[in-house]
Amino acid sequence: MQLAVNIVVLASIYALIACGYVLIYRVSRVLNLAHGELMMLGAYMVLATASLFNGHPVIALAAAILLSLLVGVLVYVFLMRKMTGEMVLAAILTTVALGILIRGLVVLIWSAQQQYPAQALGVPNPSLVLFGGARVSMWSAVLVGTTVIVYAALFAFLRFGRWGMRMRAAGQNPLLAAQRGINLHGVYALAWSLSTLTGALAGILMALDSGVTGGMPVIGLKAFPAALVGGLDSLVGALAGSLIIAAAEVLLIYYVDPLLSDVVPFLVLIAMLIVRPWGLFGTREELDRV
Amino acid sequence: MFKKALLGALTATAFALPAAAQDYVVGVTAALTGPPSSTYAPAVDAMRLYIDRVNAAGGVNGRKIKLVIEDDGAQPSKAAANTKKLITQDNVVLMVNASLSSTYAPVIAETKSENVPLLFASGVCPQSVYPPADPLQFCTTGYASHFDSQATLDFIKATAKGPVKIGFSAMAIPLSRGEMDYAMELSKKVGMEPVDQEVIPPPTADYTPFATKLKDAGPNWVYSWAPWVTQVRTLEALRKLGWNDDYIAWGHLEAEAELVRLKDGKFYVVNSNALFEDGLPIQKEIDAAAKQAGSKYPGQTMTEGWIGGMAIEAALKAAGAGADRAKLRSAMENLTIDTKGLRGGPIVWTKDNHFRTQLYYRVYKWDGSKIARVQDWKNYAVK
Repeated sequence: MQLAVNIVVLASIYALIACGYVLIYRVSRVLNLAHGELMMLGAYMVLATASLFNGHPVIALAAAILLSLLVGVLVYVFLMRKMTGEMVLAAILTTVALGILIRGLVVLIWSAQQQYPAQALGVPNPSLVLFGGARVSMWSAVLVGTTVIVYAALFAFLRFGRWGMRMRAAGQNPLLAAQRGINLHGVYALAWSLSTLTGALAGILMALDSGVTGGMPVIGLKAFPAALVGGLDSLVGALAGSLIIAAAEVLLIYYVDPLLSDVVPFLVLIAMLIVRPWGLFGTREELDRV
Repeated sequence: MFKKALLGALTATAFALPAAAQDYVVGVTAALTGPPSSTYAPAVDAMRLYIDRVNAAGGVNGRKIKLVIEDDGAQPSKAAANTKKLITQDNVVLMVNASLSSTYAPVIAETKSENVPLLFASGVCPQSVYPPADPLQFCTTGYASHFDSQATLDFIKATAKGPVKIGFSAMAIPLSRGEMDYAMELSKKVGMEPVDQEVIPPPTADYTPFATKLKDAGPNWVYSWAPWVTQVRTLEALRKLGWNDDYIAWGHLEAEAELVRLKDGKFYVVNSNALFEDGLPIQKEIDAAAKQAGSKYPGQTMTEGWIGGMAIEAALKAAGAGADRAKLRSAMENLTIDTKGLRGGPIVWTKDNHFRTQLYYRVYKWDGSKIARVQDWKNYAVK
C-alpha cells in the first residue's frame, strides 16, 4: 500500500511540473528550459511573502501564487515576446539564459543555504495515516489534491473557456488565429503565466514538505521526460507519462536498485523516442517555428 | 631639468617598492552557486571575513592578504579555468579549493604544473593529504572519510542498549557511497548487523520511496554520511513513515540550526567542530563578525571557513615577509594551527601528514529544550 501511495505522490509532483512544459510548448512550440528555475523561484517567493505577511500563512501563500503569475507575464513581456518570429533554437537558448540568471539571483537574494518555507510560515507538516497503514505527509497530500484540481481546471479551461479556445487555436495555427483577430501576444502571455503558476505551485508544495535549495531546478529537469513520454503537447499525456515514470522509479527503487531511479526516466524516454517519438498522446509534426 | 629629476625619482621609487609592501595574493575556487553551494558558500564568506579582519589589524608580516574568489559552480571545467587564471594572471602564492570533490583532479593538475601549494578548506580532504602526503596539498576540513565512520560506529556501540541492526543512507556520489560501503563492512566487524544501504541521487523530488525500503529492512539505527540535504531528508522521510528509532549523521555546518528546527531526541550529529551552543569566546567573535559584515550566513555555519582563514594566516606568518610559493609550501610542512577551541585540539601538519595528527569528535543531540553534548571530544590518531 505504501508503494502505491509513493507512486501517486511522485507522479503528482512530476505531473504538476510537466504540465508547465506542455502549456508553453502546446501554444508556442518553445521548450522552456527555465521551468525548473521558475518553479524554484516560486518556492523562494514564499519565503519573501512569509516575512512580509508574518503570521498570516494563507495570505502569504496567496501572495506568492499571485507573484508567480506575474513573473510568468513579465518573462513573456520582457523576454520571450522579443523572440517571436525568431528561430525556435534562439527562444530555447533564451530560456536557458533565463534559468542561469534566476539561479544566480536566488543565491544572491536568499543565500545558498537550505530554507524551510513551512517554518517561515509557521505551518506544521504532520504525517497522515491512510487505509492499509500507509502514510503520507500533509503537504504531499495537498500536492496530490492540487495536481487533481489544476488538471481538472486546465481541461475545463482549454475545452470550454474563451481564452482556452484561443490558446488551442494559436497552438494549432498561429497565422490563421491572428488573422481571425486573436491577440497572440495575449495568448502567449497567458500561457507563460499559467505555466509559471503550475511550476511555482509544485515548487511551493515541495518546499513546504521538505524545504528548498538551489538544487531544485534539477527536479524540474527530471519531470521533463514525463512530459516527453506522454507527448509534449498533451496534458493527458503529461499525466500518463508522469504516472509511468513515477511507477517505474518507485518500483525499481524498492525491488531492484535505488540507483536506477536516476536513469529510469531517461531509459523510458529513450524507449519511447524509438517506438513513438511524438509520445503516447502527442501530435506528430515538425518543429520549425516559434 | 627639475621635472625630469622628479619623474626619475618617482619612477625609481615605484620600482624600488619592496616586495613586502605588496599583497599576498591567495586564490579561491569555490562552489558559490550550484546544488552543493550551501556547504561551501558560507565557508568562503567566513574565510573572507577572517582575512578582512587580519588585514584590518595590519595584515601578516606587514603585508595585506588579497583573497581572489572565483565561482566554479561545482563544475570541474570551471574550477580548472579558475585555477589557471588565478595562477597565471593573479599570480597567487596559495590556491584554496572550497568545492565539490569532483573539482579536485583538475585543480590539483593545474597547481602541480606550477608548483603552487593547494589548501582544501570546507571540501572533504582527499587521500593525498593523508600520510604519506603529497608535498603540495594540505587540508583543514573537519570531516574525514573512514575516521568519521569509525567514530560514529564507536559511539553507536557505546550507546546502543541491545543488538544493533543498522541501515545506511548515502548520496549517489563516489565519496558518500564509498564511505557507506566502508561503514557497512566496519559495522560487521564490530558486531552490528547491516540491513540495508540506500544510495540516493541528488537531488530527489521525494525521499519517501528510499525511506520506505530502508524502514522495511527493520533497522534500529540508521547512519548517513552524505551532504546535509540527503542526511536530513532521509531522516524526515523515515519519521513521516512512522520509523522512530535512532538516526546518526555527520554534523555539517547546517547541523546546529537543524537540530533546533527538528527537535528530535533520537537524532544525533557527530562533529569535529564545536557547535555554537558551547558559547566559546571565538564563537562569539565569529558571530559578531558575521553580524557586523551583514553576512547572509549565520555565525554557526562559518566554523569551517574561519579555520581555513586561520590556516592561511598561520601559513603566511610562518613563511615570512618574502614568502613565495616554495617558501610557503615549506612553511606549511611544519605548521601548527591553533583553532582556539573550535576543534578538540590544534591542526598539526608535518612533512608526511598534511591532514592532521589527531582527530577529535563530539556528538550532539536535542535533549528536549536545547542542544546537548552526549559525547565529549574523543580523539583518534592519524598515522
